[in-house]
Amino acid sequence: MDKENLMSAVVQAEGLTRHFGGDGVPVRAVDGVDLTVEHGEAVSIMGPSGCGKSTLLHLLGGLERPDAGTLTLDDQRVDGLSEASWAKLRRRTIGFVFQAFHLVDELTAIENVELPALLTGTSRRAARRRAMQLLERLGVADRAGYPPDRLSGGQLQRVALARALINEPLLVLADEPTGNLDSHATNEILRLFAELRDTQQTLVLVTHDPRVGATAERLMSMRDGTIVDDTRLDGGPSRQAVLKQLAGWEA
Amino acid sequence: MLALLAKEPAHGYELRQRLASAMGVVGEVLNPGQVYVTLSRLEQAGLVRGAKVAQSAAPDKKVYEVTAAGRDEVAAWLMDSSWPKVAPVEFHLKLVAAAGTRVADPVALIDAQRRELLRRLREAQRLIESHPAGDEDIGVLLLEGSALRLQADIRWLEACEQRWTRRT
Amino acid sequence: MNSGRLIVGLAWRNLRHRPWQALLLLFALILSTTAITVALTLTETGDRAWDRVSQDTNGFHVAASAEFPADGSSAERERVRADLAELGSAPGVVAAAGPWQTAHVDGEIDGAPIRLKLQVRDADPAAVDQPLVTAGRWLDGRQGVVLEDGLAAAARLQPGDSITIAGQHVPVRGTALTVTVNPYPTEQPPTVWISPATLTRLASALDVIGYLIELRLADPEQAQSFAAAHPEVSGTWQEQKREAATDIQDLAGSLSALAAFLVGLTIATAAILVAGRMAAQIRQVGTLKAIGVTPGQVTRVQLVEYLTVACLAAAIGLAASTLLTPPLARLTRVLSVYGAQTAPVTWPRAAIVVAVAISVVLLATVRPALRGVRRSTVHSLGSNTRRPHRAGRLIRALAGLPLPLPIGLGLRGAARRPGRFIANTFGLTIGIALVIAGLALRAGVRSFGRQGLSLNDPDPISLAATTANMDRLSTLGFTIAAFLIGLAVINAIITAVFSAQDSARNHAIERTLGATPGQTVTAFLIAHLAACLLACAIGIPLGIALYDAIRGLTLNPIELTPLTYIATTLAALLLYALIALAPARLLARRPITAQLAYE
Repeated sequence: MDKENLMSAVVQAEGLTRHFGGDGVPVRAVDGVDLTVEHGEAVSIMGPSGCGKSTLLHLLGGLERPDAGTLTLDDQRVDGLSEASWAKLRRRTIGFVFQAFHLVDELTAIENVELPALLTGTSRRAARRRAMQLLERLGVADRAGYPPDRLSGGQLQRVALARALINEPLLVLADEPTGNLDSHATNEILRLFAELRDTQQTLVLVTHDPRVGATAERLMSMRDGTIVDDTRLDGGPSRQAVLKQLAGWEA
Repeated sequence: MLALLAKEPAHGYELRQRLASAMGVVGEVLNPGQVYVTLSRLEQAGLVRGAKVAQSAAPDKKVYEVTAAGRDEVAAWLMDSSWPKVAPVEFHLKLVAAAGTRVADPVALIDAQRRELLRRLREAQRLIESHPAGDEDIGVLLLEGSALRLQADIRWLEACEQRWTRRT
Repeated sequence: MNSGRLIVGLAWRNLRHRPWQALLLLFALILSTTAITVALTLTETGDRAWDRVSQDTNGFHVAASAEFPADGSSAERERVRADLAELGSAPGVVAAAGPWQTAHVDGEIDGAPIRLKLQVRDADPAAVDQPLVTAGRWLDGRQGVVLEDGLAAAARLQPGDSITIAGQHVPVRGTALTVTVNPYPTEQPPTVWISPATLTRLASALDVIGYLIELRLADPEQAQSFAAAHPEVSGTWQEQKREAATDIQDLAGSLSALAAFLVGLTIATAAILVAGRMAAQIRQVGTLKAIGVTPGQVTRVQLVEYLTVACLAAAIGLAASTLLTPPLARLTRVLSVYGAQTAPVTWPRAAIVVAVAISVVLLATVRPALRGVRRSTVHSLGSNTRRPHRAGRLIRALAGLPLPLPIGLGLRGAARRPGRFIANTFGLTIGIALVIAGLALRAGVRSFGRQGLSLNDPDPISLAATTANMDRLSTLGFTIAAFLIGLAVINAIITAVFSAQDSARNHAIERTLGATPGQTVTAFLIAHLAACLLACAIGIPLGIALYDAIRGLTLNPIELTPLTYIATTLAALLLYALIALAPARLLARRPITAQLAYE
């Protein structure tokens, strides 16, 4: 596709390795992973539990340091950065969405959302405004002044998503975003992620839920720390064919 | 179709419309001709009765209505709680056969099938999203049903993959 | 019993799992138990020692004496003696003893010359003023003298040693206390009781001779009017007691109050420790209950843990106080001229110490333990810690302040959890107050000691004794100050550590959002330094008031300079910053994912 030639990849990882030393044999959580994510791509990484997908995501976001390999974000080598440098980079370029939401209990929803903006030095007023806009866009504006313990799971994740988006990040990383949600909330979040994907936001989703996985246009499967499969999910059969398949399921 | 007629007698075109509205987008696959063929068969089986109705501004229409036998059939169908096939027998046998004959690698088959199902799931989700929201539209439920079954099957395939990987 | 072993096993494992918490608790309790022991000892000391000695010795109510040069007229002496003896049958007198012969003479102790005042007694107990033997025995028919207790202490003499009186060696038979004269070196020359036989031996060397008669009245309060009516009376018991009030009895009493305060602070410290453990153990409680361990057993596990620590602390505290016996004995002599005659560690005292240690632990643990047990199992299994309350208006006010982000975050975090902030500040305030009180006490005691050095023509022994006393007083003041500061520091450490653990999750979250570890540590420090500053603002006046309350009549009003207060504030801020920095940095170094994985 054209855009691959014009723009460089957002994420470029080569030989990324992270092992955890136990007593005795160290476990290779991520074992020599090569990965490239282009601008505007939505990628999902699926695999059984323990396959290392969460660790891979953490490595991409700088929450963990790789033991070997290189990682490049938007043409900048990042695998050797100190934590302080990573923090400054993460502020502007990465938005995280976690399974357990990880909102600050002591702050209200809107205060949580504006936190990354304040960190980058945005004025309080501008941050508040942007936060409010995001909350409206995600449909939780009426909950802006509530603390996390008064919000439902779906609302919490929407607030978390708003927080991830407030600095217009290059990359959104989501780790089992629907893991703690009931099916109704899951549908809401899926819809939001689909919308996000449609706005050409670069997205990496880690999940074991097929629905979340199917939201992306590119699917990678991981097993035992390595990527064993990498396919595109779009470019499938025609609408008619799909409907026929779906209907024919019954027959 | 019989059940839809039981509500109120209708001619072929009306019946098609009722069916389409019941099935939502999935109804798009309905072959128009299929409806008339099925109606004839029902008539032959004595479950519906057709009557010609004269129209002033259009050619004669055939209006169908349900017979008593047809009503019994509908009742029986509604009460029937048997469910279409649950066990994915055919695919399972494919895997066994592949392993036995060594013509193909079971794990590769599973991966391919999984990819295919994921594509279908993705399409189903897209269709659900594009469905106009509205309480009257119950056709979306059909799509959601498909999506859920696809998920279930995908999960089963993942379980299969774990088992079959261990065996090789 | 199986469940018994299970409980002990779990308790032991819990203690081993986080030993440093148990150690801190132990430390704090040891400080308290030792303080209590000292306070109890001193209380007995300050417990109207003069009155007790007076009671034990059938102390005098009025005394009459006269003195003459040795080479004066003996007829004159006889006349005076008879006059004095007549007083014994005056109206209002119920008992009389004497007149006894007194004399002044030069003596030598360990080669150092010293002026002595002799009093001739016989072996039979007197009706009034029979001195209380503190070592050895009273005069018997044989050669030997009994030293006044203060002299014996100052010169470090014991029964069996010998001193020189008028060139002659005499053995020391014993030491004794009396209220008739104040102990050496408060009153000089020191008194030595001798037998008539010894007097005969020394007769030629005596300088001054005199007589002394002591009376007890039917109504002691009438002593003043009796003295007015009889001009021969040289002194009443009230006057004597007033003079003896170089005692610091009231200080001793106040020190006990201070010890109680210490105990209070220890309870607060222990409560924070225990509550912190509770939060970490709530999940364990839930698990135990879920697998069928009864709430009663669960409570027992907690109690066993803490009681073990408490008993250990009590034991160590008692052992420490036993080691303190000799210096304590010297201390009590310093504080009250009539020192405690009983050994510092007695069974009742030990029982009190153990009881206090255990009650501290119980008070601190009961509430959180009960709360942990009463929570529903599901709640416990799912929860992490208690969710904080909101403090709406304060938050909004703080949010409006144009502060840089780390400070704003830190303060907002503090305001969100008012309970924790108040508890921290409270502990720190008490700590600062105690530091100020301790410093003031040390200064006051020192200046008091310096005042006591007013002597006319001091002889080497009394000079040495007084100097030694002053040193001991200084040491006393210093030790108390050190105790207080020690407990304040422990409290601060505990506060900082638990607060750091509490904030760990939020800091991890902020780091995922792009806050540098430096920023999170700064935010943490700011919030805590704010608490420390507030604590200084409240604690310094509180400390001054505390000192005022305990100094009694003996010590001067507070003598600390403004510079001291400033220095204390700065030192506290710096020290607390260092204390808080360590846990904050440790936590900041922890990988983010490990922290968040706790969820």
